[in-house]
Amino acid sequence: MIDMAQPLLEVKDLVKYFPVYSRGILMKKVVGQVHAVDHINFAINECETVGLVGESGCGKTTTGKLILYLERPTSGEVLFQGRDAIKTFSKGSGEEKMRLRRAMQMVFQNPYSSLDPRMTVFDIISEPFKIHKHVSSNEWKERVYKLLELVGLEPYHAERYPHEFSGGQRQRICIARALAVNPTFIIADEPVSSLDVSIRAQILNLIMDLQNKLGMSYLYISHDLSSVRQISQRVMVMYLGEIVESATTEKLFDRPVHPYTRALMSAVPIPDPKRKMNIILLPGEVPSPVNPPSGCRFHPRCQYATSKCSQEKPVLAQVDVDHYVSCHYYHKFI
Amino acid sequence: MGLGKYIARRAIYMVPLIIGISIVAFLVMYAAGDPIQLATAGNPSITEAQRNALREYYGLNDPIPMQYVRWLDHFVHADFGKSLYGGRPVNEIISTLFWETIKLQLVSILLAFLISLPAGIYSALKQRSATDYTISSIAIFGISVPVFWLGIVLILVFSFQLGWLPSAGAHGAPYLWPVFGIRNETLDELVHLVLPATVLTLAGLAYNVRLLRAGMLDVLRQDYIMAARASGISERKILYKYALKNAITPLITLLGISIGYMIAGAPITETVFSWPGLGRAYVAATLRLDFPLIMGITMIITIMILVANLITDMAYAWIDPRISIE
Repeated sequence: MIDMAQPLLEVKDLVKYFPVYSRGILMKKVVGQVHAVDHINFAINECETVGLVGESGCGKTTTGKLILYLERPTSGEVLFQGRDAIKTFSKGSGEEKMRLRRAMQMVFQNPYSSLDPRMTVFDIISEPFKIHKHVSSNEWKERVYKLLELVGLEPYHAERYPHEFSGGQRQRICIARALAVNPTFIIADEPVSSLDVSIRAQILNLIMDLQNKLGMSYLYISHDLSSVRQISQRVMVMYLGEIVESATTEKLFDRPVHPYTRALMSAVPIPDPKRKMNIILLPGEVPSPVNPPSGCRFHPRCQYATSKCSQEKPVLAQVDVDHYVSCHYYHKFI
Repeated sequence: MGLGKYIARRAIYMVPLIIGISIVAFLVMYAAGDPIQLATAGNPSITEAQRNALREYYGLNDPIPMQYVRWLDHFVHADFGKSLYGGRPVNEIISTLFWETIKLQLVSILLAFLISLPAGIYSALKQRSATDYTISSIAIFGISVPVFWLGIVLILVFSFQLGWLPSAGAHGAPYLWPVFGIRNETLDELVHLVLPATVLTLAGLAYNVRLLRAGMLDVLRQDYIMAARASGISERKILYKYALKNAITPLITLLGISIGYMIAGAPITETVFSWPGLGRAYVAATLRLDFPLIMGITMIITIMILVANLITDMAYAWIDPRISIE
């Protein structure tokens, strides 16, 4: 990457291991570790949407939570606008923490569990004003209405409770709440996966609109490749806690290199009944992240794997401008 | 719908319920036996004619429907009749015993509720820690151990062996129990409460703790807790304002049920501690087939439970916007 400008967000060598406890009757004992996120590196530029794709349980959501310090990283660095975010969240002053909280927000996967059932929409969206005091209380009403309008809801919705809304409307409320602090970066964790297809497009358009209007950057976490393609400028593919391929959207979808990425791509439906789909079926299940396979983590399911793959860990190598792959035999697939 | 109208409608629904329950109680009671036979069984000199005269006197020879209608007529005039034993008005018996039971029960229910708040929250926050296991063990001990056993053990240790606390009754008068050398009516009343209230609190604590722990664990997993964290709300506020408020609903139900069952609640504990309350009187009245007293206490319990249900439903609607009283 020959980009001299400082990226908005940089993730360096981020690691999260969750302890696994034995089912003892009295005392708990750590018997292993779930390698949820294992030494990942990436950067997100201003006004950029980066997609993070992978199967369920591969560590996508954990990555998002680590960036916001909603989970404590085992090790690694998160730099936001060049400053150490983990240090700010863990040791910074109240003022510094709050400033960083205002800059980064998250929209969660399940809109049914991400709104407090006891609070009205007005209370939910104005809550950040109360905490951050960046909006004086006589402007709350106006701001809440503005945010509702921005996400395509009506002012009268403010007095209602979450249970009176559909999933799509709830997700809009979640987005409005995230926008209430005027963030520059939003982690969208599968924001459309629990929604009807008809509503997905609306939410995706809303997310893209907000980028144009407010200059937002996103980490878009999803397992739905078509929505990732539509919304992201760059895409990273995650497998068992590691990033196996990273490229601009165009390159990744046109010329996927890593065997795992190629298998994923082959499963995307093509809207053409005449074209024969060539789905690559991966044998076996995703291995347990408690005992990840040696060498390349994908080798037990890879049809091209050799003995080298089970012994040596591949590194993320540049195969093209803005295209990185972690595979010993990437040159075979270019 | 207005609140007044709602309460009025619920009160009207209670009428058939109360009548139904009283009919069932009446029939079961009469099927249980003849109080005159029971009372005079140990007396060899009494004749059948004298027994019949007694039955005639108490109106027990009339057909059961007629007796019921007579009872109902008194009941709607707020009169439960006179006890078969001693002839004291049932209203008077109930009103003297009522306060003693309420006092013991309210103290235990509130203690169990208040202790369960920190215990339940802490267990959920430190899930599977040594403290969590300790709290759970105490709670399970309280549920599993029969109240009469625990009551007797406490009496043996704290009254009989150590002599610290009184073993029976609600009042020591005329002999007031000395608390650190001071003899005073209030202290005497409080010191009599300690042992029975401990037993009842322990028995009720477990349900409260387990419910709150489960509720907190469930709520803390919700994304809105994460969202609150992401907006920079302090952990303390998240815990009390978001998590507890949502986790406490089942506890409110339990509180409502406990208050409803308060009167019927503790016959065993009251008997073990010779507590002059309604529970003990209820057991005694049933064993002696003291019909007017049985009916009186049954009706008081019924009304308490129905009213507590109504209050619980209203509390629900007040706490949770998803539930409306309509």
